[in-house]
Parts: sequence; C-alpha cells; structure tokens
Amino acid sequence: MGGKVIAKDSLGEFVSKLSERYRIFGPRKKGTEWIFDEVRSAEEMDLRYSTTILPPRKFFIPTSERIFSFKMDGGVEEPEERDGPSLIFGIHSCDLNALLLLDMVFLEGEFPSPSYARRRERTALVALTCIDPSENCFCESMGTGPSPAGGYDVLLTDLGREYLAESGSRRGEEMLALAKGRAVTAADLEGKAKAIECAKSKFKKKVDLKGIDELFLRNLDNPVWKRLGEKDLACGICVNSCPTCFCFDVRDQLDFPMVGGVRYKEWDACVLLEFSQVALGGNFRRDRAARIRQFIGHNLGWGGASQFREFKGRAKCVGCGRCIRYCPAGIDLTEVVKELRGI
Amino acid sequence: MRLENPYLAEECAVKRVKRQTPDVYTYTISYPRGSNRLRMPFRPGQFIMVSIPGIGEAPFSFSAWDDGKGIFDTTIRTVGNVTSALMKRGEGQRVWVRGPYGRGWPMEEAKGKDVLIVAGGIGMAPLRPVIELVAKNRRSYGGLEILYGARTPNDLLFADEFESWKGIPDADLLLTVDSVPKGIEWDHGVGVVTTLFDRMRTEPNDSIVMTCGPEIMMKFVVKGLLAMGFQPKDLYLSLERRMKCGIAQCGHCQIGPKFVCRDGPVFPYSELRGLPDLLV
Ligand SMILES: Cc1cc2nc3c(=O)[nH]c(=O)nc-3n(C[C@H](O)[C@H](O)[C@H](O)COP(=O)(O)OP(=O)(O)OC[C@H]3O[C@@H](n4cnc5c(N)ncnc54)[C@H](O)[C@@H]3O)c2cc1C
Ligand code: SF4
Ligand code: SF4
Ligand code: FES
Repeated sequence: MGGKVIAKDSLGEFVSKLSERYRIFGPRKKGTEWIFDEVRSAEEMDLRYSTTILPPRKFFIPTSERIFSFKMDGGVEEPEERDGPSLIFGIHSCDLNALLLLDMVFLEGEFPSPSYARRRERTALVALTCIDPSENCFCESMGTGPSPAGGYDVLLTDLGREYLAESGSRRGEEMLALAKGRAVTAADLEGKAKAIECAKSKFKKKVDLKGIDELFLRNLDNPVWKRLGEKDLACGICVNSCPTCFCFDVRDQLDFPMVGGVRYKEWDACVLLEFSQVALGGNFRRDRAARIRQFIGHNLGWGGASQFREFKGRAKCVGCGRCIRYCPAGIDLTEVVKELRGI
Repeated sequence: MRLENPYLAEECAVKRVKRQTPDVYTYTISYPRGSNRLRMPFRPGQFIMVSIPGIGEAPFSFSAWDDGKGIFDTTIRTVGNVTSALMKRGEGQRVWVRGPYGRGWPMEEAKGKDVLIVAGGIGMAPLRPVIELVAKNRRSYGGLEILYGARTPNDLLFADEFESWKGIPDADLLLTVDSVPKGIEWDHGVGVVTTLFDRMRTEPNDSIVMTCGPEIMMKFVVKGLLAMGFQPKDLYLSLERRMKCGIAQCGHCQIGPKFVCRDGPVFPYSELRGLPDLLV
C-alpha cells in the first residue's frame, strides 16, 4: 500500500478535506484528560494525547442502544441507521487492536451484529503511532503497540516536522489522495522505526504472556484474589474504561401509556454483583474476589485466544492502562500477574 | 449484504398449559405456519430464548419436540418476572421465541452405550426429550436408567409419565425425595439423589451419564460417580447461568473461556474441571 509524507503545516488542510466527506472524531483535551469528541479542524485535536478517558469502543457499542421497538398489539421496528460516514482520527494502536477483538465477538461468531457491522463499515480509522506512552501503558508486551501492524485505513507517524502517512486499505488510499505531501523515502521509514524504538524505551509496565492462561487457571485459589476482593470497590470503572470489554445487559422498557416499548442493550460489568445472579438468589460470583478475578482473568488469562480460536496468540487486554489509571482502589493487573508468578 | 438482527424473535402461540407441580407448568408452544424454524434441527438439551414484550426474555430448555410440526414443550418453574407472567397469562397468549441455541446432550456419543440419567427437581425438564429419543430409537442405545430426586413427591415433574418410562424395554426408574409431607403415600427412597447410587445397575464401562439439577447436586453426583470409576469425559452436565443473549455476546454466561450459551449448556465434566466459578 502507498504512503505520503505530510508536512505538519499541511495537516489542517488534509483534515479539512476529510471533513467534507466524514464526520470526524478526534482526541480533544478536557481538563487534565482527553476525550474522543467530534472535531471540525486539526486545531481542535491534540495529537500528543496519552489516552482518552473512554476508548473509541463507544462509537461502535453505545452505552445504551435500542435493539428494536415493539407495539403491544404486534409489530416490531428495527432502529434506522441514518448516520453517514465517520472517521476516528488519531486512534492509538491499543484501541485499534481492541476493535479487532470486538470484531471477534460481534462479527466473527455465528450471529454477527448488524448494528456493529454497519458502524465498523462506515467508520474510517486514521491511526497514530504512539510516541509517548503513559506510565500505565504496556501495549508492547501485549503485542498491540506502540504502532499497529494493520486494521487501519491510514497510519500516521510523527517524524518531527512531518507525518509519515501510510495507507492500509483502499479507503485509506482514497483518503491519502486528498493530502498534499511528498513521496516516502527510505529515510522516512527509518524515522518511523526510530520513533517506535524510542517509544518502546519509555514503557514502565509489562506483562509476561508466557503460559498465562494456565497461570490464571492454576491460581484460582491464590490468596491474592481474596486480598483484592477486600480492596475492590466493585464500581465498574475498570470495565467501563476498558476498550475490549463487551458485556451488556438486555432490558425491556414500556412507553407510557403502555402501547409499546423498546428492547435495548446497555453496558454491563462482571465486577457488579447482579451480573451473575440467577433465579432464587443464586449467584456464581457472589464474592468480590471472584468478580475481580473474572475481570483480570478474562482480560489476561482465559479471554482472547482461549475464547476466540481465530484470535491467535492474543489476550483480550490490549495494555491501554486505563483500568490502572482510573481504579479508585489502586488495583493494577500487571502487578497481579507478577504476584501470581511469584516475582 | 444485509445481516439479520439476531434478537428478532418469532411470535408463537401458547396452545396448552399443563400444571406439573404447584410452581411448575409445561407450556406447549407452536411456531406460526410457514415458519422457517419448522425444519430446524433440534437436539435435546438445547435451549430457546422466550420473551414477553415489555417484561423480558429468559432461556428455557425444550422438554419435548414434535419433529417437523413446529410444536414443542417447555417446562418452566415460576421464579421471577418472565416466568410469572407466562404462568398468569396462560393458554392462548402470544410469546416470542428465538433459537434453538447451544450444544445439547451427547446423543451420538451415547449410541451403543448404557444411558444413565440423574435429575434433580426442574432439572428433569431438559432430560425428558432424551428419554423419549432413547425410547423411540430403542435399539441404538443400551440400558436406560433414570435416577430422579425432588424436594417432595409433589415436586416430581412428569409423574403421569413414569409408568410409560418404566415400560421402555431395559429401562429403570428410581425415585427419591428429600422429605415426605404428612398424608402422602410414598414407597420410594427418601434422601438426596446420590443415595440411589447404591441401588443402580449402570456400570462405568460403556456408559454415558447425563445430569441436570442444582449445581450443588451435580457436584455430589459427579463426585460419587467418579469414585465409582466413571470417567470425567463420560459425565455430561447441563449448566445454568444468567443469559441475556444466548449467542455469545452479552458475556453473562461465561465460565473461564467458555460461553455456556455457545459451548454448552451441556458440557462433559472433563471440559469443566479446573474452570473458575463452578460449584462442581
Ligand atoms: C440454558 C438454560 C436452560 C434453562 N431451562 C429452564 C427450564 O427448562 N425450565 C426452567 O424453569 N428454567 C430454566 N432455566 C432457568 C430460567 O432461565 C430462569 O429461571 C429464568 O431466567 C427466570 O426468569 P424470570 O424472568 O422469571 O426471572 P427474573 O425476574 O429474571 O428473576 C431471576 C433472578 O434474576 C435476577 N435478576 C433478574 N433481573 C435482574 C436485574 N435487572 N438486576 C438484578 N438482578 C436481576 C434476580 O436475582 C432474580 O431472582 C434455564 C436456564 C438456562 C441458562
Ligand atoms: S484490561 Fe485494563 S489495560 Fe487491559 S485493555 Fe482493558 S482497560 Fe486497558
Ligand atoms: S472483563 Fe468482565 S465485563 Fe469485561 S468482557 Fe470480561 S466478563 Fe465482560
Ligand atoms: S448468554 Fe450472552 S454470552 Fe452467553
């Protein structure tokens, strides 16, 4: 696939051209943090962001979403999707790889989700090589960063005064045709490799993935779970901030005056008590210890390749560090792995 | 390509409601004429998602199935929102049904082998089609032995079919209850279902065990049978978990890497051993 080198001065023009075709969502500063939000120009974005509060999963799986509406006297109506093409600008490697895991759940199974498929299809992805990982990041050890191997339409890498822009799809080629820039030279590719090396030297956390499924399954009774259960607040922040958590609840709501209603899905979290409750008060994860073990075990142990065969060699966790950054109880899953390994 | 919304269900009619016990009813449901589900293959042990718009959706097993006619039974204990609404609305109501989903009982693996069924309470519901299938294809299977336990004699499901089960060639039915209320005649066992192991004739060799009931019951069933020499790969359990989708997306039913809805609800014990959040 082709590429171009775009001067930073020309990025604004490129974004403005793209905005004629796409609604653009990019990283925007909010207080001391960043969020993915609709933007109209390059100036509104901060491409030196570290991580956003919520991952871009919200664009593909909204917090709450109508499955269909119904009338009590018969008739079901599926939600109409009117949204046109959109574009996520500056998605980091971890969050991009997270979408590939969500694809396993919502596209690759026996019953693909039409709404997810539509949103994936209509959303272009301009990825960004991460050059400044935060103190909580560990994508390198998860094999998901700092620069993505694929899954993007365009990949940008900051070369100092210019961006190296590589296309990864036909849509990406078409997008790059809108950009002013010069041809890519061997020196630019070397520059990219250097930027990646430099980013790698900054990681402070890592997870050793060797035999990690068995590590978790062998340690179901490890005292670490009880201790974490006592610390854990079961607030669900980890799950809500996780780019690969896919769990949801399904509920019905009746309209007033009860002539119809909606069946909708809503984000849910395994760390919450009701999540595993069954009839007559049964609950297979009543203790917080079991619930935090599910969150960490699913992310690093038995999720990913053990659950979705095609997801070769990958864990569910992409190492974005959000659950560490936002956990009010200071729970750090990379430390838990060390403890399980007896390090 | 346009994908079909997998949550869309088919509107079906509840033809008949039959009381089994004070809180368990069998609902005979038929798919509408022309439904493309009429020809769908059905395997005992699979489940469907049944819903009432405005109230909610829940998973239930088939307790009988009429091949090709699109009529099936599901036997349901009244415990909450959906199940209470089903009971109150009775015959003639319309319900939404989607499925069947999941992996059922190992009817192929069991061919040529003895079949031992161990059921507790409502757990008999998904095993009833197994008994019917074995009866119908009697020569494909070896001996059939059914161990069934319930809280009291009044809580036994399908009691009016016990005689015909006993009439199946080379079949036995052993019953037990936890307790017998005053005034009820009872000439079978008293005690948990595992107390029937002393009297059963099925041997560990060349046999398949299928069990369903409260997980704590299955724990003792598995323990007892392993001690008698049965192999983990020959013990099949049907598990209950909270299920919101039935199609491996909502995440509620996960046990380690398994989705109970996708990989189960029936599992050989050999696949479950060592997984988290299990009582067995
Ligand atoms: C594969 C499978 C097969 C099954 N087959 C059968 C069968 O053949 N027969 C049978 O009787 N049962 C069967 N069950 C069990 C059956 O699905 C449950 O009893 C049923 O879901 C209860 O539904 P309900 O709406 O009546 O109860 P609910 O109203 O859902 O109540 C059930 C429990 O869920 C909890 N709950 C529900 N909603 C919420 C919420 N929003 N927040 C917090 N907690 C909540 C509550 O603790 C409540 O006690 C099966 C289950 C599975 C998984
Ligand atoms: S588990 Fe934590 S670090 Fe891993 S992807 Fe989820 S939020 Fe990021
Ligand atoms: S970690 Fe918990 S909330 Fe996240 S996908 Fe796994 S089970 Fe669902
Ligand atoms: S019921 Fe939703 S994942 Fe199994």
